[in-house]
Amino acid sequence: MIYTTMKSLKFLIKILFFSLIVVGCSPVEEVNVYTSRHYDVDDILYAEFTKKTGIKVNIISGSGGALMERLKAEGQNSPGDVFFTVDAGNLANFQKAGFLQPIESENIKNIIPVELRGPNNEWVAIAKRARVIFYNPKSVTEDEIKNISYEDLSSETWKGRIVVRSSSNMYNQSLVASLISNLGIKDTEIWANEFVNNFARTPQGNDRSQLMAVANGLADIAIANTYYVGIMLAGKGGEEQRKAAQKLKIAFPNQDNRGTHVNISGGGILKYSPNKKNAEMFLEFLLSEEAQTHIVNNSFEYPVINTIAPHPIIAKFGDFKMDKTSVADFGTYNPEAVKLMDRAGWK
Amino acid sequence: MKQFNLNFWNIFTSFIALTFSVPIILVFLSLFFGFNDNFDHIVNVVLLEYSLNSLLLVVGVSLIVLFIGVISALLVTTFRFTGSKILEWALILPLAIPPYLLAYVMTEMFEYSGSANSIFRSLNLISEDAALPTIRSLSGAIIVFGIALYPYVYLITRVALMNISKPILESARVLGSNNFKSFTKIVLPLIRPAIFAGLALVCMETLSDFGAVQHFAIPTFTTGIFRTWLGMYDLITAMQLASILLLVICLMIFLERKQRANAEYSLSNDSREDSDLIQLKGIKNFLASFFCLVPVLAGFIIPLFEIISWSVEITNIFSIKFIYASLNTMLLAITAGIITTMLAILFNFNLRISKSKHSKLINDFISMGYGVPGLILAIGITQCLTYFDLILSDIGIIVTGSLFGLIFAYVIKSYALTNNVLESNYKQFSTSIDESARILGASKFTLLGNIHIPLLKTGIFTSVLLVVSEVVKELPATLILRPFNFDTLAVTVYTYASEERIYEAAFPALFIILIGLIPIYFISNMIRSSKGLN
Repeated sequence: MIYTTMKSLKFLIKILFFSLIVVGCSPVEEVNVYTSRHYDVDDILYAEFTKKTGIKVNIISGSGGALMERLKAEGQNSPGDVFFTVDAGNLANFQKAGFLQPIESENIKNIIPVELRGPNNEWVAIAKRARVIFYNPKSVTEDEIKNISYEDLSSETWKGRIVVRSSSNMYNQSLVASLISNLGIKDTEIWANEFVNNFARTPQGNDRSQLMAVANGLADIAIANTYYVGIMLAGKGGEEQRKAAQKLKIAFPNQDNRGTHVNISGGGILKYSPNKKNAEMFLEFLLSEEAQTHIVNNSFEYPVINTIAPHPIIAKFGDFKMDKTSVADFGTYNPEAVKLMDRAGWK
Repeated sequence: MKQFNLNFWNIFTSFIALTFSVPIILVFLSLFFGFNDNFDHIVNVVLLEYSLNSLLLVVGVSLIVLFIGVISALLVTTFRFTGSKILEWALILPLAIPPYLLAYVMTEMFEYSGSANSIFRSLNLISEDAALPTIRSLSGAIIVFGIALYPYVYLITRVALMNISKPILESARVLGSNNFKSFTKIVLPLIRPAIFAGLALVCMETLSDFGAVQHFAIPTFTTGIFRTWLGMYDLITAMQLASILLLVICLMIFLERKQRANAEYSLSNDSREDSDLIQLKGIKNFLASFFCLVPVLAGFIIPLFEIISWSVEITNIFSIKFIYASLNTMLLAITAGIITTMLAILFNFNLRISKSKHSKLINDFISMGYGVPGLILAIGITQCLTYFDLILSDIGIIVTGSLFGLIFAYVIKSYALTNNVLESNYKQFSTSIDESARILGASKFTLLGNIHIPLLKTGIFTSVLLVVSEVVKELPATLILRPFNFDTLAVTVYTYASEERIYEAAFPALFIILIGLIPIYFISNMIRSSKGLN
């Protein structure tokens, strides 16, 4: 009796499994992309890639950490081919954990400058975003903003005038990691203590709400990524955001020395990729003029190939000098950056 | 035959319980991996702040949900007042809007140029360049959670109130008790287990929430867990923090159990009818309507209109993507609802029959799954499934990254919901029924199928529907466990919100609310019809 029950139970369990499991073993060519970049506009790009090559793009998205745990658990059986993310720290971290393999494509090596690739070509940048200062020209004088650097933001002048989002945000973590890489932990901590004292309010909201705060006169300057203002100016966030963004001016920090902090969206090929050839084709496609044009025009990021110009709205901000601090350092110093911001009381 | 039954129940429930405990045990195991520098840093620098904020949040939210939930439940079950028939079910409506979504909505409304400020300015209530206090604060979060979660207390308390038998109240009245006295002496002790069951759910939900507190940038335990994991790249320390949180949740479950142990039973075969309701007049009538209307407005009607107003701002309306996301969401939610409820029935039945301390302990232990932050739970499950795949590899089954893992997570996450509902439902009919049935020769299957399930009807429906509304809203575990190309509505909303394109989240958000309304429709219908039957 028990035996037959167990048997039928086993059978039931099997049926349950089969009915729940998504059939993933189809004969079509495919590339499996693990991504923590999940912009709607990318879907159009992927569809275009499929149209061109016949290779189906399968997407699984999640935060970098979550994807890493999933990859760890899947081990050698992982179906993942490409890892794609919006934060350099994450990329560097993946590379250090040995999840990525070198990209062999000569084409990619030829068109992408060396600072936008991993040390052994484990990853390649797909788009760039600068973390800059936006200010309200009504309350900030030309003198104050001229030749400004991130370091200057700790000065008395800015007391109660700065808004920035929470230190849980990865863009802030990368920025502070880049400061640690350039100034050392001790000086960065001194800077952070003063900087936090200059906040106009407890950090809250996203980059866009910092820009809104400045536009509405709640603060004088905000730190935010360039593409947010692009989205706002293009009217994608509604008429009110467009008007607010028009009140703002941009300042690229550290133009006198190492340049403005730049973070990247980038991708690499996973170590156990079952479709390596497709993965390389996919990355090559993302770096093609066609895909780059699509990216700059829809997500308002900066392109990584020099034959394409940024979106006109972004191009209007002008050229700037980019900080060439190694992206790998962002990953190395990220944990230190988090702890440092904790100690400085940056919420 | 009898011998076999006994074995089947115990073996089956223990096996299932064990399976569902594994991911939770994995989280606790982290405590044995040793503590590193990051842990020291957390203890020295931020732990006090995390604990204090979490504590204040839970206490504040508890006060709000008790105040709104219990009083409104009492009002609609005891009195008749203007709109009471509508408010009776409308009070559940905020359940359709998850806390993170309400947080997104409230944030937009209370932005400097948000709709709340615009309305106040146009009514000249505040000056042209002034603004209302921002909602992104601890007190703002308390209000958001309070409004979003009070229906748990309201719903369970109301079901309990309706099941208090008329004779008890009538005897009290005959014996000269006034309303207040019969409330504190008779009604309150009877509904106390229900109130605490609802409150426990609210507290667990608040403690394990990530979306809303992250959006408000409030340093709580959960934000700390994710910061440690994703910022310090340190999963072990993150899991150690999660273990501390779980211990607190254990304590809460224990306290709730203690409350329940003292509970008294009542027979529910004679519920009150509408004609028994006392008609309120004048100012009392107005106050009762007002009291019940405010939470509905704040928790449902106003947010709904705000989201609808977003949809006007966007041009690309809805696509095939949303339809797929909705279908996926429904499929998952209903499957998880049925499985979880079936398990809860079996477990509670076994508990009632065997009365074994051992099974009770297991039952309490899996209930903790509700308090496990979704992402941490998802990690535990991914690790489990990988082992499982290794064992099953000869028949080529891959469960990692399949819907199986996702449903597994939902069941663990929502077991406490079904358990609380069924347990308090079971408490309401005496075990003497079981004894009579067994004396008359009914097997355990007959007892369960023919006697308990019909009696538990209300509880079963409530529990399936609670799970459905929980799954529709679930976010973090879904993000990590879902298969390729598989989006749910919650994932879609989250994606837009994290890309700071909240207006484009309008349609998926409305879909979440719409799907959330279906269980609410059935719940209120069912409660009403159960009233009619009696």
